[in-house]
Amino acid sequence: MDFNASTLLLLLPEIVLLSAIAVILVLDLFLDQSKRVFTYGMSLAALVATMAAVMLGDNTSQVVMHGAYVVDAMGSVLKVALLSVGIFAFIYSRRYLSDRNLFKGEFYVLGLLAILGMMIMVSAGSFLSLYLGLELLALSLYALVAFDGDSKPGSEAAMKYFVLGALASGMLLYGISMIYGATGVLDFAGVAKVIASGQADQTVLTFGLVFVLIGIAFKFGAVPFHMWVPDVYQGAPVVVTAFLGSVPKIAAFAMAMRILAESMGGLGPEMGWQGWQGMLIILAVLSLALGNIVALVQDNIKRMLAYSTISHVGFIFLGLLAGGDKGYSAAMFYTIIYALTAVGGFGLLAILSRKGVEAENLHDLKGLNKRSPWLAAMMLLIVFSMAGVPPTVGFFAKLFILDALVNADLLWLALVAVFFSVIGAFYYLRIIKVIYFDKPESEEPIAANVDARLAISVNGLAMLYYGIFPASLLAVCQAAIAAL
Amino acid sequence: MSFEKFLFYLFAAILVGSALMVITRRNPVHSALFLVLAFFNMAAIWLLAEAEFLAIVLVLVYVGAVMVLFLFVIMMLDIDLATVRAGFIKHLPVGIVVAVLMLVEMVLVLGPKHFGLTKYAAPEAAPADYNNTAELGLSLFTQHLYALEIAAVILLVAMIAAISLTLRKRPDSKRQNVTRQHMVKKKDRLKIIKMPAEEKG
Amino acid sequence: MISLSEYLILGALLFVISIAGIFINRKNLIVLLMCVELMLLAVNINFVAFSHFLGDINGQVFVFFILTVAAAEAAIGLAILIVLFRNRRTIDVDDLGTLKG
Repeated sequence: MDFNASTLLLLLPEIVLLSAIAVILVLDLFLDQSKRVFTYGMSLAALVATMAAVMLGDNTSQVVMHGAYVVDAMGSVLKVALLSVGIFAFIYSRRYLSDRNLFKGEFYVLGLLAILGMMIMVSAGSFLSLYLGLELLALSLYALVAFDGDSKPGSEAAMKYFVLGALASGMLLYGISMIYGATGVLDFAGVAKVIASGQADQTVLTFGLVFVLIGIAFKFGAVPFHMWVPDVYQGAPVVVTAFLGSVPKIAAFAMAMRILAESMGGLGPEMGWQGWQGMLIILAVLSLALGNIVALVQDNIKRMLAYSTISHVGFIFLGLLAGGDKGYSAAMFYTIIYALTAVGGFGLLAILSRKGVEAENLHDLKGLNKRSPWLAAMMLLIVFSMAGVPPTVGFFAKLFILDALVNADLLWLALVAVFFSVIGAFYYLRIIKVIYFDKPESEEPIAANVDARLAISVNGLAMLYYGIFPASLLAVCQAAIAAL
Repeated sequence: MSFEKFLFYLFAAILVGSALMVITRRNPVHSALFLVLAFFNMAAIWLLAEAEFLAIVLVLVYVGAVMVLFLFVIMMLDIDLATVRAGFIKHLPVGIVVAVLMLVEMVLVLGPKHFGLTKYAAPEAAPADYNNTAELGLSLFTQHLYALEIAAVILLVAMIAAISLTLRKRPDSKRQNVTRQHMVKKKDRLKIIKMPAEEKG
Repeated sequence: MISLSEYLILGALLFVISIAGIFINRKNLIVLLMCVELMLLAVNINFVAFSHFLGDINGQVFVFFILTVAAAEAAIGLAILIVLFRNRRTIDVDDLGTLKG
C-alpha cells in the first residue's frame, strides 16, 4: 500500500476545490437572487485557494494512488495556468449573465466541476483517471452550452457537441482497450515500460494508437474532426464560449502529453511516419489550412474565432510532433498563451454585449475606438497576439514552435506554417480595421463592471508583458518538461 | 463445436441481429426494446467470459434504469415518425459502405493472426469458490479508490446538470407554498369589523 | 474453446454497427443516443475479453467505470434532448438550421 495521510496532502488542490464546490452548491440554495453575487465571489475565492494549494504543494515528480495520480512540475504549471484562465472566464461572465436572468449558482458550480475535471486530467497517471477526468469535463461542458434553456442555438449546439463528444469518447475508449490488450496494463508508466521492452504486438499498438489519436483530435477540434467547433462556439452563450474555448485547450494539451509523449513515447518522433508523428503532421497541416482559409470569409466573430482556434490547434500539434524537450516546451508555451488570448477575445465580446444585444458580428465592433479607446487597445493587443505580430507574445509563441520544427529537420512544415499564418493575418487585420477605421453604429457608452474592466486590462497587458519578457514563462515551461 | 462455443455463437448472433434492428427500426420504441434484447445477450456473453458481476450490473443498471429512462423520454416527447425517417434511405448506402470498409480493416487486425488461441491461450476456468464480486470490490476500494471518488463526482455532475437543464419555474403554475401556508397568522386572513348592533324596531 | 479474436470481432461488429447507425440516423436524435450506448457496449466487450484472457481484473474495473459514466451521459443527453424539444418541438437534426455547420 502506498497510501497514507501524506498522500492526501499531494491531492490537496483537488480536495480543496471539491470541498469548495460542495459548500457553494449548498450555500447557493439559501441565497436570494439579489445576493447571488456572493456565489460568484465564493467561486473566485475557491479558484484562488486551489491555486494557492497548487503553488504551495510539493511538485517533485512522483506517482501515488497506485499509479492513478502523477505529481510533477508540468502538472503544477498547467494547473496554475488553467485556474488563472478560469478566473478570467468567470469574471467576464458576471454582467452578461445577470443581464439575461441567467445569473445562477449552477453556472459557477458546473464551471468549477469542469475545472476539477481538467485538473484530474492534467495529473492523470493512468488511462482510467484520464478518462474519468475527461468525462467530468465533458459532461459539465454539455450542460453549460445548453445553459440558456430558452435559446434555440444554445440547445442545438449542446446536442451537436454531445453526440460528437460521445463519439469521440467512444473512439478514445476503443483505442485504450486495444492498448490495454497489447500491453496488459493501464497506467502510463507501465505502458511505456512494456513498449520499451518490445514485447507488445506492434500492429495492435498502432491500431489502438489510431483510435486514441482520433479521440484526441476530436477533443482538440483538429481537422477533419472539427465539425463541432464552429457550431458550438457560435451557439453557446458567449461567456460559455470564453470558458470552453480557452481552458480545456490546456487540459487537452496535458492529455496529449500524457498519452503521446509519456506512455506512447516509444512510438514518437523517432518512428517518423510509422508512429504518431506522421498522423499529427496530417492533422496539423489540414487544421492550419482549413482554419485560416475558412476564417477569412466569416462575418460572425464567434465563428471566425472558432476557425482561428482550429488553426492554433494546428500550431500546438506542430510543437508536439517536433518532439524532444524543445518541441514539447514550445507547444506548452503556445497552449498556455493561446488559452489566455482566447479568453480575452471572447471576454471582450461578453463585455460589449448589452441587455438584449449580442455583440457577435463584425459590425458590432465598428468604431470601438471611438466608444472606448482603452477597450479597443486591449482588443488590439489580443488580436495582434493571435495573429503573431511582435511585440505581443503570440509572435514568440509561433517563433518557438518554428524553431523546434527547424531543429527537428522539418523545415518544410515550418514554411507551411508561416505561409498559412500570413494568410491568417488578413482576417485579424479585418477586425483591427473595423475597430479603428469604421464609424460606430451606436454611440451608446459601454457599461462594464469594474471587475471586468480590471480583468480585461490585466489580460491585454499580459500579452504585452509576456511579449517583452517571453523568457520568464518559457523558462518555467522548459523546466517543467525537463522534469518529466 | 463445444457447447460453450455454441452458446457464444447463439448469443452473438442474436446480439448482432438486435443491434442491426436498433439502428434500422422506424419506431424508436422498437429500437429501445431491441437495445434491451442486445443488453441481455451481452450479459450472457459476459457470463461466458467469467465477468459475473458486470453481467448482472448490465442488466440491473441498463435494462432496469437507463432503458426505462429512454422509453420514458420517447413517450413523453411524442415524436412525429414521418419526419424522423426522412433521409434514412439517402444516407443508407454511404453508411453501409463506411461500415463494411471499417469492419474489414478491423477484422484484419483482430483476426486469429494477432489474437488467436496460439497467441492468447484460453484461460483455465476459475475454481468453484472464485468470487468475482469480491475480487472486483477489493480492487475497486484499494487500487482504484481515486477513480471511485471521481466517479462519484461524475454522478453529482449528471444530477446537477439534468436538474438545472430541465427544471423551469412556470409562472402560471398553481403550486402551493407550504411555508407561507404555515406562517399565516390570524390577522392576515380574518378581519373583525366592529359595527353597531341593529336595534329591533 | 472460444478464442480472444472471436470476442474482439464481435466487439468490432457492434462498433461498426453503431457508427453506421450514427451515420444513417442523423435525423433521429433518440436513436442517435442509443447508438452511443451501443458503441460503449462494443468497447466494454473488448475490456471484458482482454481481462478474461490476460487474467487481470483491471479491465473489468474499467468496464465498471464506463458503465457509470455511460449512465450519467445518458441522463444528460436526454436532458438536453428535452430542452431542445421544448425549444423546437422536433428532434430532427436536419431541422437544426439556425447554425449552418
